[in-house]
Amino acid sequence: MIEDLLQSSPGLMNFGIFFLLAVVLLLVVLGFVTYAILAERKVLGYMQARHGPNQLGGKWGLLQTVADVLKLLIKEDVIPKAADRPLFIIAPIIAFTPAFMVLATIPFTDKFQFADIGVGLLYYIAVSGMTVFGMVLGGWASNNKYALLGGMRAGAQMISYEIPLVMSVLGVILLTGSLNLTDIVLQQEHGWFILYQPIAFIVFFIASIAELNRTPFDLPESENELVAGYFVEYSGFRWAFFMLTEYVYMFAMSSLITVIFLGGWLPPLDILGFIPGAVWFAIKFCIVVFVYMWLRATLPRFRIDRLMEFAWKVLFPVALANIFLTALIKTLFF
Amino acid sequence: MTISGEFIAFMGLALVAIIGGVLLLNLTKVVHMVVALIFTFVSIAGIYVLLSAEFVAAVQILIYSGAITIIMLFGIMLTKHDDEGETTTGKGRKVLLFLGILGFAAAVYIGIYDFNVVQVPTDLHVDNTMKIGEALYSKWVIPFELTSVLLLVALVGAIILAKKDEKEGDKE
Repeated sequence: MIEDLLQSSPGLMNFGIFFLLAVVLLLVVLGFVTYAILAERKVLGYMQARHGPNQLGGKWGLLQTVADVLKLLIKEDVIPKAADRPLFIIAPIIAFTPAFMVLATIPFTDKFQFADIGVGLLYYIAVSGMTVFGMVLGGWASNNKYALLGGMRAGAQMISYEIPLVMSVLGVILLTGSLNLTDIVLQQEHGWFILYQPIAFIVFFIASIAELNRTPFDLPESENELVAGYFVEYSGFRWAFFMLTEYVYMFAMSSLITVIFLGGWLPPLDILGFIPGAVWFAIKFCIVVFVYMWLRATLPRFRIDRLMEFAWKVLFPVALANIFLTALIKTLFF
Repeated sequence: MTISGEFIAFMGLALVAIIGGVLLLNLTKVVHMVVALIFTFVSIAGIYVLLSAEFVAAVQILIYSGAITIIMLFGIMLTKHDDEGETTTGKGRKVLLFLGILGFAAAVYIGIYDFNVVQVPTDLHVDNTMKIGEALYSKWVIPFELTSVLLLVALVGAIILAKKDEKEGDKE
């Protein structure tokens, strides 16, 4: 269905259809974010031997996030007097837009994808790198030293960890010979890349946690050193945008890991092929999201000086070695 | 000239690129200038997409908008971040500048007015990433390797420069 649309001639009608589909995707993502926050609080709660939200919306607290969002929406929108007003306003938008843009290239099933870009993987990495501006500018525009520190940390961390992220995924690109995400999934029919590229997977996963600013790499927003990080001065809806960015990235990054390493919509065994691809995608996606929450509950925060050393002295050489090894294996055996 | 979707997209992107450039020159705060620069870089990437060079577009965003502008931002923020640019004005200078711009515009106009663009039916959009790779590693392999050596030298130099400060620093 989408395939025909993508190849049909452009027109107002198609524009309308794509616009509607994008709005639907946005709503789905917002629904995911709402329940991902709840799930995160529940998982964290049970891992720390408590219950988490359980008052609003029944035993499971199903309406807790809805109420939180409503509270944020009706909150007063405060802009500090000493802040750089235009930048302060534009920063959450700069942070959020790329987070939603990257979703366009991710193939959810073989029939449902918004843009079949030849360099899909590169597009994801390039566009997601733009978010860091939103954070740095937000931190700077707040005119607050904690916010500035948080923004600086976010910038340094995300730029540093982008390099092992790209380098680790190069092993997969070497094996597939393509940057197109659909091709990458189709190449995994005989075995997922997590089996062929375990080192790349580990490096990619660690770097992705750092890109998402989640514990143990949540130094840009560590609440006990920096109050809250780059969004200290933000309140209400603008703050919600930063949070939304974070969780939309979690959605995007989990999808990307599913697509690159876990075989996307393909079933693990051919016998299980009767279950539709969307279900497989959802299952793998949920597992990745759960692992992110699990790590957040388990690991303490990194120290700032070890953070950079870890990226440049451990992850980066390991990723380079993985490329070398993959190239060697490919020329010798394939 | 027919107005196609491509034309509208090009006009939009070109407009954003030019406005970004003008704002870059006209804004007073340095950080605002960098933001204007980001808009220019991104819309130029969009123009690359229109020319079916997705790979170059992605690299443009990754390198120029992503890495270089962040370095500029860091440089600005870690130094005198609230520095406002000062305007130097003189009447004679302005007139000279205006004449120079007029001359440049005339030269460009004459240059491109009769420029004969040979319309070759190309298939540039087919596998262009692969073709870039093939060209880099066969035809242009020596410049490519020289560039990598140059980058390596720059990297080593940067490490040595950064290491110098740490001599008296606290040892773990």
